[in-house]
Amino acid sequence: MRLVITDIKELQSAQNTSQRVITDDGSIHNCIGCFGCWIKTPGQCVIKDGYENIGKLFSQCDDLLIISKCFYGGFSPFVKNVLDRAISYISPHFVIRSGEMHHKRRYVNVINMTVYFYGGNITEDEMKTAQSLVTANALNYDGRVNRVLFFNSADEAREALPL
Amino acid sequence: MNIALINASPKRSESASRALLSDFKGLLPGEHTVKSFTMNRPSIDEEEIKELCGCEAWIFFFPLYVDGIPSHLVSCLFQMEQLGIENKDIYVYGISNSGFYEGKQNRNALAILKNWCDKMGFVWGMGIGFGGGPALSSMKGIPLGKGPKSTLGSACRTLANAVLSHSTGDNLYISIDFPRFLYKVMGEMGWRQGFKANRGKR
Repeated sequence: MRLVITDIKELQSAQNTSQRVITDDGSIHNCIGCFGCWIKTPGQCVIKDGYENIGKLFSQCDDLLIISKCFYGGFSPFVKNVLDRAISYISPHFVIRSGEMHHKRRYVNVINMTVYFYGGNITEDEMKTAQSLVTANALNYDGRVNRVLFFNSADEAREALPL
Repeated sequence: MNIALINASPKRSESASRALLSDFKGLLPGEHTVKSFTMNRPSIDEEEIKELCGCEAWIFFFPLYVDGIPSHLVSCLFQMEQLGIENKDIYVYGISNSGFYEGKQNRNALAILKNWCDKMGFVWGMGIGFGGGPALSSMKGIPLGKGPKSTLGSACRTLANAVLSHSTGDNLYISIDFPRFLYKVMGEMGWRQGFKANRGKR
């Protein structure tokens, strides 16, 4: 299954049997660092706003496609919110991976990340940060980076999408 | 000098960011006006932004979330960018803490804060990437600069000196003064206790 996370609301229509799309319906709450998704209801966020099962969706996907406006070399508030709320995908327990401490995997699937960043005036520094950020994300998920691409606008990103 | 200490942890209760802020505050001499702010929601009151604008140095204390800054903080930074702040002589510093041992894992979060400074026209002062943050909540009785907080104390003094002299420096990446294997074992024990207390399952 391909999981798509995007701040472009119009992409909700790309949902089908082999593709799940997470968009902003205005109801998402931010992670409050309670770790309930690790110690109270492992695998599921304790905030019931319709976005509590993202960790589970991560476990069902092979391809993770993120389309996000670039904010300072990182993801947009909505996309980052979804990623923050998905930490139950990994276990709280630690493992040493590539010489660094990371979280153990909870599930067996290997996530292949593709990220489309868009926005006007994305600086060189922001691109470098974004590349480094996605690489770090993939390492934490014990997954892989397929591609990180940059576009001048949401329209340009949409035209290039494999949806 | 007016100095803003900003607790940007989304946690309402005890947090490593709050503990760090409290320790850091003790390094600032009494002749300076130190104001504490809390950014734990995705928006900031405009009155607070006005108050922030009266401070020459801003120091953000925040946890590493998924290799970056927490989403609510991205929203707050964007809100300030949209408002536009005329005072460009603001020096920004950041102390990012993570549950991982290696301070270097905070590099992307600090880079995001620096990139925001560039967009705002502010001056990026320097940052500290600290590994082992969760241990701090249980070490309140240990003074900064002592025992497991030795290296942290030294890094915080460097950052405090930069703030007070209105200057910049390289980011410092440090860990709690505790062997990594022991930190890992204690972390695992902490999670197991958490499962038991909450009847969760591994």
